Amino acid sequence: MTERLLHVDSVTVRFGGLVALDNVSVDIARGTIHAVIGPNGAGKSTLLNVVTGLYRPSEGDVTFEEESLSGRAPHLITRQGIARTFQNTELFGEMTALDNVVVALDSRYACNGISAALHDGRWRASEAEARGEARELLALVGLSEDQDSAAAALPFGKQRRLEIARALATQPKLLLLDEPAAGLRAAEIEALNRVLLDLRTSRGLTILVIDHVMALVMAISDRISVLNFGRKIAEGVPEEVRASPEVIEAYLGKKAAHAFSA
Amino acid sequence: MAGRALIVAIAVAAFFIAPHALAEFHLFQICLVAGTALVVLGLIVVTGFAGQISLAQAAFVALGGYGSAILAARWGIPLWAGVPIVSIGAFVVGFVLGQMTLRVSGHYLALVTLAVTAIVQIALIYSDNVTGGAAGMPVPAFEIFGLTLSTGAQLYYVIVPATAMLFLAVHHLNHSHYGRALAAIRQSETAAELMGLNVLRYKAAAFGASGFLGAFGGGLLAPLSTYLDPAQFGITQSVYFLAVAVVGGMMSPLGALVGSIVFVLLPDFLQAFQTYLGLVFALLLLGFIVLRPEGLAGLRLPKGIVAALPRLGGERR
Repeated sequence: MTERLLHVDSVTVRFGGLVALDNVSVDIARGTIHAVIGPNGAGKSTLLNVVTGLYRPSEGDVTFEEESLSGRAPHLITRQGIARTFQNTELFGEMTALDNVVVALDSRYACNGISAALHDGRWRASEAEARGEARELLALVGLSEDQDSAAAALPFGKQRRLEIARALATQPKLLLLDEPAAGLRAAEIEALNRVLLDLRTSRGLTILVIDHVMALVMAISDRISVLNFGRKIAEGVPEEVRASPEVIEAYLGKKAAHAFSA
Repeated sequence: MAGRALIVAIAVAAFFIAPHALAEFHLFQICLVAGTALVVLGLIVVTGFAGQISLAQAAFVALGGYGSAILAARWGIPLWAGVPIVSIGAFVVGFVLGQMTLRVSGHYLALVTLAVTAIVQIALIYSDNVTGGAAGMPVPAFEIFGLTLSTGAQLYYVIVPATAMLFLAVHHLNHSHYGRALAAIRQSETAAELMGLNVLRYKAAAFGASGFLGAFGGGLLAPLSTYLDPAQFGITQSVYFLAVAVVGGMMSPLGALVGSIVFVLLPDFLQAFQTYLGLVFALLLLGFIVLRPEGLAGLRLPKGIVAALPRLGGERR
């Protein structure tokens, strides 16, 4: 059994009368790519918001490297080693692609306030180091040509990759991707798959991806959990999940499930 | 680099030539512009850079003016030391006020900061044994190195260099990780938080900076006006500073300077309309919000002129 990096332990999230997540438990092993799939409104994004600290679970707990994250502020969870991208991209639109990445590096490279006010040698050194690393990260996701473009001016596929570069800048152990393939063309999805597989092998990154684009999920995932109406209905390797009657029912309806099992 | 050195040389030369070339009244106006610009610079940091609306600026100006005057009158601390001390105190007050942004934002934040201005003004009126109450108090003379500076021409040598240095510091900070963080928070608070930025602390620091700059400006303007009374620091004054920032341009320190020049000098050109000055300012403010939300500093010069100018330090963002 491989080491457990993230442990979502019987988490329930309620918004008033609505139960967005109902007693969901998921374990993510270090160094794997784990997918969470499910129809719209199944609670996938809620799960990410709980892990990153944007939502507090009504019940249950999330532990990361066997440490509880409950009640911890989002920026501290990020510093602990969890980074994410957003479904509708949340880039800093007016800033250049390079500065978007540098912002995420600042908590590591930033010099003190007096050096920054004087723009002295120490400030120049820290700035040069941060910019250097930001350029490397942009190169990693294939955006070297675009470093001086405003983030909002980039095409959607590039914005997605910029979000990944920015998330990597926080030096995560766990990378959470919220529907990274939505709205991408087939060729772009393949490029994204290669980037993700490469990140796992070269950086030893653990990835939790949320999506319903099967071309991405089935091709790269080591393990898949399926959510429906806030409950986990199946979990396993891609082949098991693909064959599960509950999953077919959730996606295609009851009749289809009977047709498949018959 | 050579272009930058040339600009610095010209600025220093202009600084020393001006007192000999200009009349006392004009030097007084330069001081007034500089002090006002410093106050408005604080507003640009908190509202323009960090995106947090503040109507507390008049309160910080009052803190700087009254605080340093009281330190001098009661404890004999000279203004040259009192103004920075009080400004640091105002930073702390601003930082604490900034903690409020955890709970309120937008219109509600505007109301909270408005209330701060009202409370400070009322406190000034009712603590009459310290502040002189509604009648106000005189400002002790600005004494430094055994010299007494009282006229605009004399205070010029203190106010202008202090303002220039603080402007430079803010410009540098804006082009460092502080400016980047504030820009990020302004554009997406959630994303900034998830990039590991302590959003609350940055917002509070922006409020602290607005307090520091407001109090410093207030402390420098006080000896210029020689007399303080609570009527100078009301809600109207806070709105006035906001108007200066909007007309000048919220997104760069230059906006504070340009706006202050317009608002300090305009009344002289409009002597005939003195009664309607408030109306002129209101129309100006409305016109800029609707037509030029980036303010005067956001106006683009024709490309030919820009190309001819030497690059002004640093990489553009």
